[in-house]
Amino acid sequence: MLELCDVYKTFHPGTVNEKKALCGLNLRLGPGEFVTVIGGNGAGKSTLLNAVAGVWPVDAGRVRIGGRDVTGLPEYRRAAFIGRVFQDPMLGTAPDMQIGENLALAARRGQKRGLRRGLTRAERGEYRDRLAALGLGLEDRMTVRAGLLSGGQRQALTLLMAALRKPELLLLDEHTAALDPRTAAVVLALTDRLIAENGLTALMITHNLRDAIAHGTRLIMMQEGRIILDLAGEEKRRLTADDLLRRFSAAAGEPFDSDRALLADD
Amino acid sequence: MGFAEYLSSLDPQALLQRLPGYAAQGVLWGVMALGVYITFRLLDLADLTVDGTFATGGACTVMLILAGWPAWAALTAAVAAGLLAGLVTGLLHTRLGIPAILAGILTQFALYSVNLRIMGMTANKSVSVDQYPLLLSSRQIPRAALIGVLLAAALTALLCWYFGTEQGSALRATGSNPAMSRAQGVNIDAMKVLGLMLSNGAVALSGGLTAQYQGFADVNMGRGAIVIGLAAVVIGEVLCAALFRRGAPFAVRLLFVAAGGVAYYLVVGLVLWLRLNTNDLKLFTAVIVALFLAVPQLQARRKSSFRAADRKEAQPRA
Amino acid sequence: MKKLCCILLALALALPLCACGRSQSSASGAEAGAQTAPASASGAASQSASAGKSYVIGICQLVQHAALDAATKGFKDAVTAALGDAVTFEENNAGGDSASCATICSGFVSDGVDLILANATPSLQAAAAATDSIPVLGTAITEYGVALGLTDFSGTVGTNVSGTSDLAPLDQQAAMFAELLPDAKTVGILYCSAEPNSVYQADEVQKALEQSGVTVKIYTFADSNDVSSVTATACGECDALYIPTDNTAASCAETINNVALPAGVPIIAGEEGICKGCGIATLSIDYYELGRTTGEMAVRILRDGAKVSEMPVEYYADPVREYNADLCRQLNITVPDGYTAIAD
Repeated sequence: MLELCDVYKTFHPGTVNEKKALCGLNLRLGPGEFVTVIGGNGAGKSTLLNAVAGVWPVDAGRVRIGGRDVTGLPEYRRAAFIGRVFQDPMLGTAPDMQIGENLALAARRGQKRGLRRGLTRAERGEYRDRLAALGLGLEDRMTVRAGLLSGGQRQALTLLMAALRKPELLLLDEHTAALDPRTAAVVLALTDRLIAENGLTALMITHNLRDAIAHGTRLIMMQEGRIILDLAGEEKRRLTADDLLRRFSAAAGEPFDSDRALLADD
Repeated sequence: MGFAEYLSSLDPQALLQRLPGYAAQGVLWGVMALGVYITFRLLDLADLTVDGTFATGGACTVMLILAGWPAWAALTAAVAAGLLAGLVTGLLHTRLGIPAILAGILTQFALYSVNLRIMGMTANKSVSVDQYPLLLSSRQIPRAALIGVLLAAALTALLCWYFGTEQGSALRATGSNPAMSRAQGVNIDAMKVLGLMLSNGAVALSGGLTAQYQGFADVNMGRGAIVIGLAAVVIGEVLCAALFRRGAPFAVRLLFVAAGGVAYYLVVGLVLWLRLNTNDLKLFTAVIVALFLAVPQLQARRKSSFRAADRKEAQPRA
Repeated sequence: MKKLCCILLALALALPLCACGRSQSSASGAEAGAQTAPASASGAASQSASAGKSYVIGICQLVQHAALDAATKGFKDAVTAALGDAVTFEENNAGGDSASCATICSGFVSDGVDLILANATPSLQAAAAATDSIPVLGTAITEYGVALGLTDFSGTVGTNVSGTSDLAPLDQQAAMFAELLPDAKTVGILYCSAEPNSVYQADEVQKALEQSGVTVKIYTFADSNDVSSVTATACGECDALYIPTDNTAASCAETINNVALPAGVPIIAGEEGICKGCGIATLSIDYYELGRTTGEMAVRILRDGAKVSEMPVEYYADPVREYNADLCRQLNITVPDGYTAIAD
């Protein structure tokens, strides 16, 4: 479903701030795989997601989604195949538009937007049901501006919007990082449910080692723009956080240095 | 003369009689305010092209009417010219990466020469209501007011409908959250260009109407238009928020924006009627508009402020 | 509450329409394209003409500068001298903004003033658009035909508009180049592109100069911001300059002088104000006197019942050849007889 072949990306080449973010990255995701991505600071996790989403063009390599080569497509064109949730809850919804309008916007992702109604009555019914399934009480507040919701609510809404039209790929960029533990748990549970119900292929970045182990079918660890650890199936299920740290040191030749990951608790 | 004499020389009756004229001119600028609203509020762009586009609308309308076109056809052509001006600014901004404010200024600069050429290298062209069939004129204020209100209402209805469509929603989303819009498959650049085009089309329409109203088009007639437009937008929003605590539907907000133009011109009229030193007209207008806009802020401060919190005693526990 | 607010909003937007109730007599207002005079204005005008006791004159001046101010003063002095306390003036200044001219003039019309003095072209155009019954006298306007878009202007406008023109004979102005600067082979004409009066004068002077074998180049600036650079370019390419009666140039005469004087380029100006600032000579019109002439026309209309539609536009009778002694000395120009020094 997703294929990254020999992808390179360097930021600020030739200057003092040069950063080789991705170095010959190779990654293949089959349909239905739910991959968690962990790594230290500056490992290239977010860069990986941005490369897939098309926020900027890669320096070298190919990106394929669902078999088609999207390397030359800008972000808004790739959006037809991708659902995305950002780390910042404020980034995922339009604060000046109503909840219903936000959902309607997401529903038309990838389609040509013409002069038909932006939010039809039939749609409203569908969205009510979807929002009710979230269990956050949002179905009664569909005309409320998204900017008035709390961070957790906005993130849940963004998640729903991302999964609304069964995208080929779901990209989650530390989407619970800015939430309090209780809300984070709710959003993670929601993530699992949406992915399972719709059979989505997902790539989730998280800094929480326990979450990375508990969720998903496959785990990837990155360091300095490369994938240094790739575990799936039974191997992944039997992992513990300490295991991970040891395997990291072995693979990377240095201790795992992300304070956030080490100090995060459930 | 003494203050008492001055007060007694003011004639409220005269002010009331003048109001319709001021309101008629104001509603024409209200049409312009609707255009400014699109870029300023919905797209979150500061578009300075409008100073030039206003004059372009006036110039096109007058030259075409002088050439024998019917007034409504001339206005349509003026709107087309406005769309073109917005397109230029949009392309400068999206394709060449020029910041929106500068792109607007560049187009406005260029439009000065363009407008001169449209008017045949003269700075000023008059179009007399006695010789040509104008849609509206300051000769007949009631008719001008009616046409102005009708057009403002029609434009409001059109905008309401448009921003409820898929494309219009995408445009609003672009202004509200560009990053998210991109992730939802919206072509941000195209939306910005579209918004700029619509906005300048409305401004050109306003320019064409004003030129007919005042009986001439002048290459400098748009000078300061953006200031008036922004003032009208903000006044309209303040009024709307004051009257509708819970938030008003989009249509009502747009109507208030148009009404903001009327309000601005009423302030100008008030300053003229007060016979303050007319060289200070702009200063007094700014002061009155500022007072206007400060009212909600001052009201809020009266209810809750740091100073008040400091003075209050601690509440005894129940 | 919501209902109340909707009603208030409707009232606010209907405010312009409340004028409908005021137009009394003209019932034919509904006819498409019918030109009906605002009833209140015509009513008031006829009333005061017959009563003849007190008059209100509305003065709309485009922008503040010496020549226009002088014209207004002359007008007021002449009218007050003839009518004394019977007349009140309503003076308004548009601050250089043509839209404000329309606001001011429509205010006068709804007040029902007896006469409007329109000082400068946009004021005239706004006044002519706002009323076809109240007499409108223009002043400091160069060409009425151009200003009002009249195709065959024969000297009398014919509608409710008349006034005075500040046009000095342009061919005589061009002749001053031969008198004072016989060695000037290339003459530049400098003016503000936003002023229609200037374009007209520039064209006429260009024709006259070219007839006498001088090469003419045109230099325009958009507003007071580019005056310096455009003047510098002109001084670099020409032996002498001509500036018509341009309002913007009048306000920037100092700036122009600061460029032209060091460059040693003499300037012949279209009016005294500009000449004082940067010119060596001018065919002077006294704007104060022009205003007085306009005032006398107003008195004829108000007191003596003259018909404005029959009054031709009056031109300034005796333009005086003047020179700026200081600048002539600095530029080594010999001034022939027949010129008067400008008093400081």
